[in-house]
Amino acid sequence: MLNDLRFAFRLLLKNPAFTAVAVVAIALGIGANTAVLSLVNALLIRPLPYRAPARIVLMLEHFRAQHLDAIPVSAPEFVDYQTNCRSFDEMAVFQPGTFNVSGGDRPERIFGAVGSAELFNVLGVAPIRGRVFEPPDCTAGHDDVLIISERLWKRRFNADPQIIGSKIVANGRGFTIVGVMPASFEFPIPLFGIQGAQFGERADVWQPLAFTAQELKIRYSRGYAIVARLAQGVSAKQAQAELDTVTAAMRRNYPDNYPKDDSFGITAFPLNQVVLGPMKPLLLILLAAVFLVLLIACANLTTMMLARAASREREMGIRVALGAGRWRLLRQVLVESIFLSLCGGIAGVLLGIWGLDLLKRIGTQTVPRLSEVNLDWHVLIATFVIAVGTGIVFGLVPGLVSGDPNLTETLKEGGRGLSSGPRRNHLRQALVIAEVALALVLLTSAGLLIKSFVQLQNVDAGFNPQNVLTMEISLPALTYSDNATRARFYNEAQKRIASIPGIKKAGFTNILPMSGTNSDSSFNIEGRMSDDKNPSPDEEFRQVSPGFFEAMEISLLRGRPFSESDNADAPPVTIINAALAKRYWPNEDAIGKRINVGASAAKEKWATIIGIVGNVRHRGLDYDPLPEYYMPITQTPNSQAVLVVRSSQDAASLISAIRTALREIDPAQPIAHVRTLEQVVADSVAPRRLSIWLLGLFAAIALSLASIGIYGVMSFLVVQRTHELGVRMALGAQRRDILRLVVGHAAKLILTGTLIGLAFAFATTHLLAAMLYHVSPHDLTTFAFVTVVLGAIALVASYIPTSRVIRTDPMLALAHTT
Amino acid sequence: MIRLHNIERSYPLGRGQIFYVLRDIDLDIATGDFVSVMGPSGAGKSTLLHILGMHDHGWTGEYFFDEAAVHHLKSKERASLRNEQVGFVFQQYHLLDDLTVYENLDIPLSYRHYSKSERAALVADALDRFQIVGKKDLYPRQLSGGQQQLVGVARAIIASPKLLLADEPTGNLHSSQGEEIMELFRKLNEEGVTIVQVTHSEKNASYGKRIVQLRDGWIV
Repeated sequence: MLNDLRFAFRLLLKNPAFTAVAVVAIALGIGANTAVLSLVNALLIRPLPYRAPARIVLMLEHFRAQHLDAIPVSAPEFVDYQTNCRSFDEMAVFQPGTFNVSGGDRPERIFGAVGSAELFNVLGVAPIRGRVFEPPDCTAGHDDVLIISERLWKRRFNADPQIIGSKIVANGRGFTIVGVMPASFEFPIPLFGIQGAQFGERADVWQPLAFTAQELKIRYSRGYAIVARLAQGVSAKQAQAELDTVTAAMRRNYPDNYPKDDSFGITAFPLNQVVLGPMKPLLLILLAAVFLVLLIACANLTTMMLARAASREREMGIRVALGAGRWRLLRQVLVESIFLSLCGGIAGVLLGIWGLDLLKRIGTQTVPRLSEVNLDWHVLIATFVIAVGTGIVFGLVPGLVSGDPNLTETLKEGGRGLSSGPRRNHLRQALVIAEVALALVLLTSAGLLIKSFVQLQNVDAGFNPQNVLTMEISLPALTYSDNATRARFYNEAQKRIASIPGIKKAGFTNILPMSGTNSDSSFNIEGRMSDDKNPSPDEEFRQVSPGFFEAMEISLLRGRPFSESDNADAPPVTIINAALAKRYWPNEDAIGKRINVGASAAKEKWATIIGIVGNVRHRGLDYDPLPEYYMPITQTPNSQAVLVVRSSQDAASLISAIRTALREIDPAQPIAHVRTLEQVVADSVAPRRLSIWLLGLFAAIALSLASIGIYGVMSFLVVQRTHELGVRMALGAQRRDILRLVVGHAAKLILTGTLIGLAFAFATTHLLAAMLYHVSPHDLTTFAFVTVVLGAIALVASYIPTSRVIRTDPMLALAHTT
Repeated sequence: MIRLHNIERSYPLGRGQIFYVLRDIDLDIATGDFVSVMGPSGAGKSTLLHILGMHDHGWTGEYFFDEAAVHHLKSKERASLRNEQVGFVFQQYHLLDDLTVYENLDIPLSYRHYSKSERAALVADALDRFQIVGKKDLYPRQLSGGQQQLVGVARAIIASPKLLLADEPTGNLHSSQGEEIMELFRKLNEEGVTIVQVTHSEKNASYGKRIVQLRDGWIV
């Protein structure tokens, strides 16, 4: 075996061109597999970074009659669940939040969460320093402690060993740091998509949650999610049954707050399913794609090894004559192919590492948990197995062929051997057909996704994202404790920013379109009664400042926009979008109609509809617009807001001026998440773009490999036929006759491969349906375009070696022997 | 040692026609014999040699090697018999280009289940016997034709075969180198190795004890 290995090594060194092409082909195939396997391993297989994550559930309520399928819970509801459920070891409640940390060079907004005392026990993760929350921390007045992440500890505190007990100021309030969580700890995972959680923002600060007495009385104010650990031996189904009895009791005990029927309830979603579910189809498709790439690489390598086997027939014949058996020759070829494959595998792993780094740079801010993707030993073992398997696959047929030489022919002086035999040529041609077919399947899939993406880019978002800058502001409750101070900040900020040269319009909103955040609220329509059968409408709800619609260039269809006069002292007003007007006032004018927000109509003031604006695709370009209604932020100022600035120049150049303007109002007020609106829109389709980028890359690799394969086989066949072609030319055949003969033969192979590939693509592209946007999985244009492109490239690949032969002097061709 | 009876070798030409390379060959070769097979090109000399060496399986007739009826043996059994009893010397030497002299000598032994130490001893013996110790780390391309054929002969007999088959062993050599090789054959024959050589050269044929003439596939 060692001798075989040594010989294999010598052969690779002796044929550097062959070795380089083979290693690159294998590296591309294996590198793609390594990268995607790393993704699958990290996002689908590797458990979430919590203790026994299979027992952790995320609980969200639903009001099905109002089409609300997964909404947070209120404080008193959490207390009910926690008190009455026995199916869980522990249950915690949490809410994402932001912390304006002051001190240092400039204030900084840090993403984090508030959570109840049980949170870290439910997740089963211990701090690396200090402690987790204890029940006394979660009482009013004692919640001034913080746990920070290892990342923040290192970044902001320079890994200070005395960090526990240190004081920091966040949101204008003093806190004591009591614990440091390990770098691997991540909660809430952004994918939860619950109130304020955005992609790319990892939590670095956790504060204990202390419900206020007032909060514990209000059932309809829902802002918390529950995370719970199932008791040992209790299934999710049993827990769900218990939750159903608790919600039934809530419906009975609080008839004013819940419908009588079972349209209200709570669902316990396994955390794995919530986090991993949405990624699964994409990853499986990518896995299939890289498998196809690897198959094409194997077909390529097989043709290369067959060509080399032909040139080694004499050597194999001598070995047989010297006593080598069929198995020994097969073993030797397999050792060579596996060795070659392992060399390619090493290059592939390096390529995979580089690819993952690139992938992270492109997608970490937009694809959940991408930062966790790495190359661990599971992936390395899988890659090793794939490399060995690949070596066996592409070495087997050439090995079997080599093990059966015709000794009488190969050992004769000038013997032809069997390399030119029809059986082996059929095999080569079959491999070309397979390569074309497999490449076509991948190209078609990539083509459909690219066309979808182009369609999506042309969709009208409902606003103009060009030259718009956005940034987030979070007003601390301690400094901005009432509506008046918050309203004052927003008014002043808007005035100062609007006066900056180059800025055309500025406005605030509590929720930015396509930012991954959302909010909804129920409302009553004046003159329309709601009951169990006709519950109050619940639609998308925004709070925006005057100037917001103009800054976003959301079209005003009727009425007027908000103005400075729509302040806290003025009568409440609202603006609705066209979809909401159509749904609730389909045959009448909505302007002048009145609605009120909140469950208890009697206590709220009626707001008059003063305008109707165009629809906005808030959830993403690929989602239809939903009914929305807007309230002026000046009448109900929120502490979280997004500043939207439209400029007449490059928006990014204004960041410094805006920051200065805001500091003049409040030096401790940081801005965060500064992005152009175009970036926000681009980020909203980032997972889709990433999948296209990857599938497109794999399709390009497949096309390159298939072209190289076709070129290689055609070169081989043409060289074999050089003598014959020389005879034909000597007998009067013109160059075009030779071209027609050889390229025509290649065209038949390509056509056969194309037809098989088209049939296979037609049968499988429906698997992409969920990822397509306004494009049929059997889109004829895409199928036709891809076929023409592949056919043309394949024909060029077969033309090049043929053209070389027809330029040869017929006498030289006649002298050629194989 | 060898008895051939009614051996025929043919190839189909299509349309039911057959081309005969060898016809009705009857030949006995005794142990210790040194036979030279002669004849014009296309007479079937090399084909006969490959049948004797059990490389070719497409023949009909009876072939006895010692007590073994080769015509009844399966492919694997023939390969085993060949490995034990037959060595080959080729006109083009057929050394493996990417192996050193030492490795070329070692390779037949590696296919015959010798232990590593036995192989080392046998190769060292052969290098010594053929006086090529100084060349053991050279590759075939670094040797002259005569030296390459010397290695080829050494490789053919390293596993101590009873029968040595040689196909134009001096065909590519300078006359003086050819004589050296033929002297070597004579010496091996004197040591008890049975030799069958194919040759066009009367002079080389004269080193043998008898000559078999082939013409158009027939022994004449």
